[in-house]
Amino acid sequence: MVQLLTGLRHNRKALIGLTIVLIIVLIAIFAPLLTEYNPAARTGRPHQPPSADHILGTTRLGQDVWARLIYGARTSLAVGFAAGLLITVVGTALGIIAGYRGGKTDEVISFFTNMVLVVPNLPLLLVIAAFVGQAGPMVIAFILGITSWAWGARVTRAETLSVKQRDFVKAAEMMGEPQWRIMAFEIFPNVLSIVGINFIGSVIFAVITEATLEFLGLGDPNVISWGTMLYNAQKASALSVGAWWDILAPCIALALLGIGLSLLNFAVDEIANPRLRTGSNLGRWASLVKAGEGRL
Amino acid sequence: MPFLLRRTLFYLAAFIAAATINFFLPRMMPGDPVALMFSSAASELPPESLAALKLTFGFVDGPIWKQYLTYLASIFTGDLGMSVKYFPLPVTELLGRALVWTVGLVGTATIISFFLGSFLGMLAAWRRGTRLDVIISVCSIFATSIPAVVTSLVALYFFGFTFGWFPTGYAHDPALDPAFSLQFVGSVLHHALLPMITLCFVLTGGFTVTMRNNMINLLGQDYVVMARAKGLSDRRVMVLYAARNALLPAVSSLAIALGTVLGGSLVTEVVFNYPGLGNTLYQAILARDYPVIQGQLLVMTAAMLVANFIVDVTYVLLDPRLKGSG
Repeated sequence: MVQLLTGLRHNRKALIGLTIVLIIVLIAIFAPLLTEYNPAARTGRPHQPPSADHILGTTRLGQDVWARLIYGARTSLAVGFAAGLLITVVGTALGIIAGYRGGKTDEVISFFTNMVLVVPNLPLLLVIAAFVGQAGPMVIAFILGITSWAWGARVTRAETLSVKQRDFVKAAEMMGEPQWRIMAFEIFPNVLSIVGINFIGSVIFAVITEATLEFLGLGDPNVISWGTMLYNAQKASALSVGAWWDILAPCIALALLGIGLSLLNFAVDEIANPRLRTGSNLGRWASLVKAGEGRL
Repeated sequence: MPFLLRRTLFYLAAFIAAATINFFLPRMMPGDPVALMFSSAASELPPESLAALKLTFGFVDGPIWKQYLTYLASIFTGDLGMSVKYFPLPVTELLGRALVWTVGLVGTATIISFFLGSFLGMLAAWRRGTRLDVIISVCSIFATSIPAVVTSLVALYFFGFTFGWFPTGYAHDPALDPAFSLQFVGSVLHHALLPMITLCFVLTGGFTVTMRNNMINLLGQDYVVMARAKGLSDRRVMVLYAARNALLPAVSSLAIALGTVLGGSLVTEVVFNYPGLGNTLYQAILARDYPVIQGQLLVMTAAMLVANFIVDVTYVLLDPRLKGSG
C-alpha cells in the first residue's frame, strides 16, 4: 500500500491523471463559489455565444452553460464513483469467495460470472433503463452496479487462487482463523492492486455509460449532468444552428475526465506490476471502454 | 465431458437465460406492460390488431409458465413477433433491413481498426521506449478514453456542419433510389465515410494496446532472441516471429468484436442518423416498441454467443490439449 502511494508520487502519468481528476472534483465541490448563476434558471437570452457575462455562453433555454457544466460535474462524478464502488464491491466479494472457497461455491459463482460476461450487458442496460423509464442518476448507478461486476469477479478470483497458495494463508488456516477473517484480512489486502484497477476502470465505464444513456434520452431530463446537457443540446439542434459551445463544453469535460482517470489507471497498473510494466490488466479498461462506447 | 459439448451446453443455458430475462423484464415493471405498450402505441395501432399482436408477443391468456413456454417456442422457430410502431411489419424484416447497413458500417470499421490497431501496436512494441512508441501509446490512451458520443458529436460538428465535407445523416441521398448505379454506390460511400472514420478512431486504440502488450511479452522469448542471433533482418523478426504469435490472442478479441457488430454502434448511428441496428433499437426504445427491443436483444445475444463459440472452436484447433479435457 505504502509502496503503491510512493510509486504514484514518482509516476508522471499518475501525477497528470491525478491533477486532472482532482481539479474536476474541486470544481464540482466548490461549484456554488465559481458561478453566480443558478444552473436551472433562465439567466440570459437563448443561445448566446461565450461572453464576459456568460463565459461559456447560454443554452437554448437561456441557462448559463458554465454553471450547468460545473453543477453537472457533481452528478457525473457521483454516479461514476457510486457505480464504480458498487461494481468493485460486488466483483471483489464474489471473486474472493469463489477463489478461496472453491468447490461447489466456486462452480456456482463462476457459472453466473461467465453467463453475465457472455450476455451483452450494454444493450441489456439500455433495455432495463428503457423499462424503468427516465431513470435518475442513482438508479442508473444501481443498474450499472448490478450488471457490470462480472469482469472484476473473474480477475479477482484468478488472483485469489494464487494468493491462497501462499504460506501466510496456510499459517492463518492452521491457527484456526475463521474463513471470513482470512478472506477479509489475509486475501483482500493482497489483491488490492487488482481491486484498484477494477475500481478506476469501473468509474470510467460508469461515467461514460451514464452520459451515453442520458444523451440517448433514457435518463431523467430534469437532472443537471453532462449527459443531459448533451441530450438537451442535441434536442435543440445546437450543432445545426451553430451553437457549438452548448455541445463542445460537456464534450471536453467528459473527454478530460476520461483521460485523467485512464492515466491514473495506467499508472496504478505499472506500479502494481513492475515486472510487466504493460501487464495484461491494461487490456481491461481498453476493452471496457471500447465495449462501453463503441458499441453502446 | 468433451470441451466443445460443455461449451455448447453453457451457451444454450446463457441464451435461455437471456431469453428469460427478456420475457420477465416487461412483466416485472410496475403497471400492466401490455396496457402500457398499447397505450403508448395506441395512435399508431388499429384496435382490431390488438388481439393478434398480444398473441404474437406471447401475451396469451393462461398461467405465466404457459406464456413463458409459448414465448420460448416462438423464439426457437425464428418468430420474433411484429413491430408495434410499424404494424404489421414483422420484427425479423425490420431488423433485416437495418442489418445490411450495420454490417457494412460497423463490420468494416471493426476490421479496419483491427488491422490498423495491430499494426500500430506492433510498431510501438518493436520500437519500445522511443518517441514513436510514446506518440502511439499516448494517442491510443486518449482515443480510447474519450467517449464515443463525444468523438461522434465533435466529428459531426466540424466535418459535417462547419466544413460541410460530409453529409450529416442517412445512409444515402434520399432522392436516389437503391440501385447498382455508380451514383448510388458513390452516395452510400460518401455517407458512410465520416461515421466509419469516427468508429475507427474509437475502436483502433483498444486493438493497439492489446497488440502492444502481447508483443512486448513475447519479445523477451527465447525464439525471438534466437531469430535475431541468426542474423535475420529486423523486419522479418518483427513480423514473422514476434507479431505473428502476438496476433493469435488478438484474433479471438477480433472474433468477439465482430460478435458485437450486430449490436450496431448505437451512439455513432444515432448521432449520424444512420439506419443501422443500433439506431433501430434506439428508435424502438423511444417508441416503447417492445417486440423490436426484445428481438434485437435476442439477435445480439445470439451473435455474441456464436462469436464466443467460434473462439472456443479456434482454441481447440490451435491447442489440441483442450479436446479431451473435462
